Amino acid sequence: MIPTFGAALRRAIRSGFALFILLLFLSPVFWMLITAIKPPGEWLNSPPIFWPSHIDLGNFAEALVHWGGFKGLVDSLAVASGATALSLVVGIFAAYSLGRFRTGGENLSFTILSVLFMPPVAVAVPMYLFWRAFGLLDSFSALILQYTVFNVPFICWVLKSFFEDIDPAMEESALVNGATRWQAFLHIALPQARPAIVAVALLSFIFSWNEFFFAVILTRARVTTLPVILPTLMEGHDIRWGSIAAIASIAALPVICLAFALQRYLVRGLSFGALR
Amino acid sequence: MVPALAIFAANAIFPLLYALDVSVRNYQLLIPVPPQFIGLENYARILSDPLFWSSLKVTLWFIAGVVFLQLPASLGLALLFDSLPRWAGIGVTILLVPTIIAPSVVGFQWAQIYNYQFGPLNYLLGLAGLGHPVWTASPTLALPSLVAIDFWEWTPFMVLLLFAGLRSLPADILEAARVDGSSYPKIFLRIMLPLLRPVIGIALVLRVLMSFKTFDIIYILTAGGPGAATENLAYYTYIQGFRYFNLGYASALAIIQLIVVAILAKALIGLTRKPSFAGAA
Repeated sequence: MIPTFGAALRRAIRSGFALFILLLFLSPVFWMLITAIKPPGEWLNSPPIFWPSHIDLGNFAEALVHWGGFKGLVDSLAVASGATALSLVVGIFAAYSLGRFRTGGENLSFTILSVLFMPPVAVAVPMYLFWRAFGLLDSFSALILQYTVFNVPFICWVLKSFFEDIDPAMEESALVNGATRWQAFLHIALPQARPAIVAVALLSFIFSWNEFFFAVILTRARVTTLPVILPTLMEGHDIRWGSIAAIASIAALPVICLAFALQRYLVRGLSFGALR
Repeated sequence: MVPALAIFAANAIFPLLYALDVSVRNYQLLIPVPPQFIGLENYARILSDPLFWSSLKVTLWFIAGVVFLQLPASLGLALLFDSLPRWAGIGVTILLVPTIIAPSVVGFQWAQIYNYQFGPLNYLLGLAGLGHPVWTASPTLALPSLVAIDFWEWTPFMVLLLFAGLRSLPADILEAARVDGSSYPKIFLRIMLPLLRPVIGIALVLRVLMSFKTFDIIYILTAGGPGAATENLAYYTYIQGFRYFNLGYASALAIIQLIVVAILAKALIGLTRKPSFAGAA
């Protein structure tokens, strides 16, 4: 079929509209990034300054050194990677067990799924008292374990259906040929599940990196992740908008880069494995 | 492999049982007496607590935003992106940026946008001669302002799910309908929408249940105010538990939320599993 002028025009209009939507949705992000490179005099202006007179990276220096940005970055990285690694270890084994041996049947799977939908505030009080009893408030271990508890059900749910779909015949023939269950899992099931594992690892990392509620409740001064630093800087009169924008950008850019680098895994992760 | 599961089960079930236990005591962290068993008194107090009912109403506002704004908008946007020839996938990923960045970063971005005096939004409104609303500080506009942020943050997430759903529709059926000369609205209503129904269901269930968790943007932008205008259930529970340290009362609030979420989840999941597509259009 030869595209007519009308069809080409319609396509151009659709593309233009989609582009407009993207710009609209990204404008608050752009505004943050622009503020982060504005010199101090241009943070607040009436009328607002849409493009800085010169690019000033002083905000980043100030944010990293004076406002705890560097410590926040290190803490966030430690908590997010620790929680992701631990959740993967626990989650993969549990999911394999659920998917391959149907441990606990459908009921157990559903119970695990329901944990995902629990409002965090519902378990906030018991978890606070729990960590307090162990003297673990304001510690890395508490935050990492807490996020693991939230990541594992998600990982289980996504990977379970994936392991179910993998044909058990290959593992069984390996078992017949003298491999242990462990070897069959490690060399046959695990490599096949890799795309799904990347997806859940990506989402676990993003969740742990972004998490705010438990970080506010369980930590004070020793552990300060980036999301928690932000609101503390927005109090008071002399708000350093540029520096806050710099910290916010430092918090936002890693997950944006990760999401683009691992784009094709994002759908599976975000849809809880319901879509591939 | 089973021990991993056992550890996890203990981790998930312990807090629930403990919350249940605390919720029937007058546990206040600031009063150094051992908490006593008071039966269902916390629950009775909640039912006559006007702040509970107003926070429930705020939560329902966020849910209404999901159902009536985010769902139709995301359906439209998913169709728009699906109709793009080449850069549809990367476009949807770019659109997802608001969803994947930290909600507290989102809160900061919108604190800038909504800034009364220096914000770009009021500047543009001023150019158009539409006045200078105070947005998050206004008793009437604060809640809609937050619902708008929720829209911005989470509509892309629904677009992604629906877009992936559209891309997995059987191409031959759609092509056959086109060859038969069916109009686009007809194809959409009679074929795409019914086939898409499970995905729409998943998106709706996820988002409705997630909207109970809305917390970060409230904490950063309004702290529940002005008054209690933007205090949802999650935020009210936080205030009771971690501002006033009424742990018993907060736990009872939490249990009530759990029950509501569980009932909703059950109902919504049932809705999506309905096998008949007949009435979907």
